[in-house]
Amino acid sequence: MIITTLGATVKRAVKRFLSSLPALFGVLVFTFLLMRVLPGDPAVFFASGPNAGKAEIELIRKQMGLDKPVPQQLVYYLYDLGRGNLGNSIMTGQSVTKDLRDRLPASLELTFSALLIALVFAIPLGVLAALRPGSLIDHGIRLFCALGVCVPTFVSGLLLIYVFYYLLGIAPDPTGRIDIFTSLPPSRTGFLLVDFLLAGDVSGWWGAFKQLILPAVTMALFVIAPLARITRASMLVSLGSDFVRTARSVGLSWWRIVVTYALRNAILPVITIAGIVFSTMLGANVLVEKVFSWPGVASYALDALLSSDYAPVQGFVLLMASIFVIVNLVIDVLYGIADPRVSVG
Amino acid sequence: MRVRDCKPLLGLVAAVALLLAVAPVKAQTRAETLRYVTGASVNTLDPNVPGSTREAFAVSLSTYDRLVSFGRKQLNGKWVFDLDKITGELAESYEVSPDRMKLTFHLRKDAKFQDGSPVTAEDVKWSLDRAVTAPVLGKAQLLTGSLTSADQFKVIDPLTFEVTLPKPDKLALPNLATVYPIIINSKVAKANATPDDPWAINWLKEHTAGSGAYIIETFKPGEQVIMKRNEAWNRGTPEKAAFFKRVIVQSVPEPATRANLVERGDADLVIDLQASDVQSLEAKGTLKVISTPQYNAVTFISMNNRIPPFDNVNVRRAIAYALPYDDMFKAALFGRGTPLFGAEWPDGQPTSGAYPVAQPVKLDLEKARGFLKAAGMPDGFSTTFSFNVGQASTAEPMSALVKESLAKINIKIDIQKMPDAQMSTQINEKKLPFFTEGIVAWLPSTDYFYRNFYTGDQRWNYSSINNPELTAIAQEARFEPDKAKYEQDGKKLNAIHFAEMPQIPLWQPSQDAVMALSIEGYTYQFHRQVDYRDLSRK
Repeated sequence: MIITTLGATVKRAVKRFLSSLPALFGVLVFTFLLMRVLPGDPAVFFASGPNAGKAEIELIRKQMGLDKPVPQQLVYYLYDLGRGNLGNSIMTGQSVTKDLRDRLPASLELTFSALLIALVFAIPLGVLAALRPGSLIDHGIRLFCALGVCVPTFVSGLLLIYVFYYLLGIAPDPTGRIDIFTSLPPSRTGFLLVDFLLAGDVSGWWGAFKQLILPAVTMALFVIAPLARITRASMLVSLGSDFVRTARSVGLSWWRIVVTYALRNAILPVITIAGIVFSTMLGANVLVEKVFSWPGVASYALDALLSSDYAPVQGFVLLMASIFVIVNLVIDVLYGIADPRVSVG
Repeated sequence: MRVRDCKPLLGLVAAVALLLAVAPVKAQTRAETLRYVTGASVNTLDPNVPGSTREAFAVSLSTYDRLVSFGRKQLNGKWVFDLDKITGELAESYEVSPDRMKLTFHLRKDAKFQDGSPVTAEDVKWSLDRAVTAPVLGKAQLLTGSLTSADQFKVIDPLTFEVTLPKPDKLALPNLATVYPIIINSKVAKANATPDDPWAINWLKEHTAGSGAYIIETFKPGEQVIMKRNEAWNRGTPEKAAFFKRVIVQSVPEPATRANLVERGDADLVIDLQASDVQSLEAKGTLKVISTPQYNAVTFISMNNRIPPFDNVNVRRAIAYALPYDDMFKAALFGRGTPLFGAEWPDGQPTSGAYPVAQPVKLDLEKARGFLKAAGMPDGFSTTFSFNVGQASTAEPMSALVKESLAKINIKIDIQKMPDAQMSTQINEKKLPFFTEGIVAWLPSTDYFYRNFYTGDQRWNYSSINNPELTAIAQEARFEPDKAKYEQDGKKLNAIHFAEMPQIPLWQPSQDAVMALSIEGYTYQFHRQVDYRDLSRK
């Protein structure tokens, strides 16, 4: 029975993945063309030395392959892509594949931590608010959420830095994933928290954790609101439904009613929203990455965009689109676990 | 929530305090380490690679040597580079032939590359050949010193090297002290060259093969570079290795964070803070702030002399008298810089042949209206005023004031804020009528400025001015050996500039270097970055 369910889930996942491939390709071509339509010639921008003239501009244009007609550029790009080559970034002087591989774990680690913190706070807050709708607690939570959303992340980030680093001096300097004087663990996963554990370096892990906590909280503050609100709304529906009334009438314990019956049924929309929030955070955490000098993909893409460095922007968009597809798949699978009816259909 | 988060952190303070107490050795190394934070980043280890950043230049100055380098001098109590004093770096001494067509360099006998092999004239030849023939940035720079072909470079013996010039060009020697003509270990570079890339450009982008004061330890493009001292290096002035055992160059994009870091003593030096932060840090007095006017850089309001209505000289003059200079200077730079307006020219002639020279212009709306009338446009006109996002912190307040003031003489402007790449493209295509931009020259001489920024149909001629007289004088001045005549030429050029008013020089912004009180030796360099070799700690 379980195997059939699992089999169905995998089958569905594969089908969903295949059907998203045309969309990915569309995104790819669209970004490629969009970058070339945007005003701003990267060759002119990068040939900015005090003596750079026409020759230097031509040189960079050739280096970037911009001297060829656009359709030919696209064909070359697709060919390279098929061989796993995303092109080179002029900005960092590295291949885009390498840049993204180095930076994606940083972004993922930050986003996962932020999402975890957000969920840990948002779900209980949402449940609390739903249990006493209209009460002082409900309003208090609403106020807290509103504050979280309406304070832009760079403001809350700078504020947290100001208080915890500058005034109190208890947070480490907000410059990246690890204290500059600490040596890195051997890179196995790219996630520093995991790598330090694997290397058995507890003080290193603690150091990385300290660096992570402020940016993660900054991001979490911003997304607690949607998660808490959706939890509250769906809990209200769930609490008012027949099965909860029945459960109450048969005298089940409060905890069991709220957690096992109401929350389990209310969690579906929360998972959906969490998935969307995750994908958005990964791309939209650029301000947090900038404020905390976090070497992530979003700040990389923004820098590339400002300087019209085509290859990194294209690589980034492709990466984001792929992650979006994967996140959706994962949500699908989680759905099946939360509500077995989904995978049967 | 914030309170909850700081609980584990509080426990941590105790742990950190304990760690610090038992680790005095670590504190020692911190004093011997220089931590420099910057908003920009290092993207290549070879400054010659097209697209390399200014931070990359700074790193290459420490990892490579050049034949010669600039000395330094005191200017208003601050150390700045001295264009007129050229000292040996890899060259122990040099001679200029009486006809000034030959430069002979005698290399140091004790100079070694970082891999231990001796520096020979062969390496110098290969490196300079590369700078003038390979597709690298050095080519355009060395051209300004009449260094164009590999035939000009000759190995006399392993320690003697000769450069022949087609003309007695006074910029030839200074050019060899700029960022690009680095001396590379040719054996190592050749071993890593490929048929497609005979000059090892790709390899040298990520590796160094030099003889410089620092050895690269870690290079993470866009994040950080960590260098350790080359103990064998003795090219500094006092014949010994550089002071700091380690140098960390770290990218911190947020200016407020950089200010916090240096104020709390976690960073030792930063040169790209916002003017407002510099002012408040200076007021607190716990840090050393050295502000040097960037005397080889100028900020302009430029007008495209070929696009109507700016093709009319009276329109350009009208604008020059309608700008609220003092307010702009305060709003954009908090007064941190050298103003290039409000001068007095007693007999209407330039007071100096140097470039830039302060202009005798000030806000005078009556005069501006007069010029506008003379231009046949008493009712004004509408146009756009552009600046790039990278300069927004200074250009944004400034352009608001420009807009407000020009509205008083009926010139309506639309402010355009453009992404940097878009702005440089539009400037290159000569499409912007009215904008603000800056220029910088590594070798700031009057003729150099005029030749590069006021002639030809090229990008750096922001105003697109085409004045045959100006071009002729500038070309002639280039090879003028007589100092008095050169000064005369300079005055003539400055007079043409004022008469034609192709663009309006505003000011020379200050380079504000903010550092810990213990840091000494900071020198303003021609490349406007920090030369880590200059620095030491008290």
